[in-house]
Amino acid sequence: MLAFTLALLYPLVGLAAPVGHWRWDGSIPGSTMSSVNVSLVLTGIALVFDIAVGTPVAWYLSRASGRDTILWEAAVLISVLMPPLALGILLSLAFGPSLAPGAWLLRMGLPTTNSPIAFVATQFYVSVGYYIVAARAAISSVPTDLERTAALLGLRPWQVFRRITFPLARLGFAAAVSLAWVRALGEFGAIVVTSYYPSGMPVQIWINLQDAGMPAVMPLLLIFLLIALPLPWAIHLLAQRRGSDAVA
Amino acid sequence: MPLLEAHIVKTRRSFRLDVELRLKPGERLALFGASGAGKSTILSCLAGIETPDAGQIRLGDMILYPPSLPLHQRPIAYLTQNDWLFPHLTVGANVTFGLRGHETNGAGPWLEELKDRLGLGPLWNERAREISGGQARKVALARMLARRPPLVLLDEPFTALDHPTIHDLVDAIVKWHAELGFTLIAVDHRNQILERLCPRAAAIEDGRMVQEGTWPELEDAPATPKLASLLAQ
Repeated sequence: MLAFTLALLYPLVGLAAPVGHWRWDGSIPGSTMSSVNVSLVLTGIALVFDIAVGTPVAWYLSRASGRDTILWEAAVLISVLMPPLALGILLSLAFGPSLAPGAWLLRMGLPTTNSPIAFVATQFYVSVGYYIVAARAAISSVPTDLERTAALLGLRPWQVFRRITFPLARLGFAAAVSLAWVRALGEFGAIVVTSYYPSGMPVQIWINLQDAGMPAVMPLLLIFLLIALPLPWAIHLLAQRRGSDAVA
Repeated sequence: MPLLEAHIVKTRRSFRLDVELRLKPGERLALFGASGAGKSTILSCLAGIETPDAGQIRLGDMILYPPSLPLHQRPIAYLTQNDWLFPHLTVGANVTFGLRGHETNGAGPWLEELKDRLGLGPLWNERAREISGGQARKVALARMLARRPPLVLLDEPFTALDHPTIHDLVDAIVKWHAELGFTLIAVDHRNQILERLCPRAAAIEDGRMVQEGTWPELEDAPATPKLASLLAQ
């Protein structure tokens, strides 16, 4: 186990690789802090959409028994399995000005490429499938008999979800949120097509690599890791603590 | 005027259930019969866990079926051999789970009685996942009765309990029936328990009610050889 863990963490040694002096100054092209802000704010918004849209879908998929469920599951899996670059190209075409939805959005003042909306929409597309798959597993872990019992005690469906399903599936939901966060924050292949600007951290890292080499990449890479990893850990730990404290 | 009028038709793999029930307010009826006769299916349809294929179910002024009334709108208590306590909540939170704010206000003395009679006081702040099976059954009973429902359905809730606990629970249910006046339908494979719980019984065989009456009436003139055999056990 130790050997496996060491092997798993070994890539982090790359942070100490001799790539020359890290360029912390403002001389690198683009704006490092701006990309951090873009990533944090817009990924946060995408995550809100993931949760708002994905939770009811996950609940439906875990509780529905009809044959049509197979179709909905397949649709969700397509979004998970789609190669990011292909998804980015398809999104830019499907919501481009040559097709009605994109043209309409453009007329409404909502540009679907190189805009915050494009950024959030792309992140939503790449991450919501992961959220749904994980949230569905979390909900499925709660026995339906517990939900039925709560309903027989007079609780409406949304109250059953709030008081029974969610508290019991809390750790699974934490995993779903973490997965969606990491997936959306780290997305590069689709984002670079649909939203080169405003540049999030992955795109900015790529720009830095192209224009100034590894010394300009390393500071942003470190910031990227510090931002991407602690939130999932924090959510997981919080869910674990609250899960064990939820007694009233 | 009956409290419960039900005609339940439900096709299962091995039989077709077709049973009519009429119970007055406060009446207690045992459903008696061999395993797989359809007794639990009747309770499940009344509670709303299963939906009948045809028929109708009326409880007081409420039509439970058709269309099937959502579970949360049915003023029915349903206790099975599985307690289904909410493991993340305390015993106290489980017992008061179904009480809304305004119901909790006047329920103090009643909750105290439930707590004292079932010996739940020392467990009140324990987590439900940490108590024993017998204690859990008592908590489930208290949770079910806390709302003071007009119809109580018991589907073999005494399974896997020791005799003193069964004795205690049956006594408690009979006492609270006298106080609260709920209508009770009970299913169990042991007629000794049913006889203590309910003065009347309906014998169910292969999805049909073959006889209904008091226990002495059933024992004196059982309608079928199978019923006679079951009563003799």
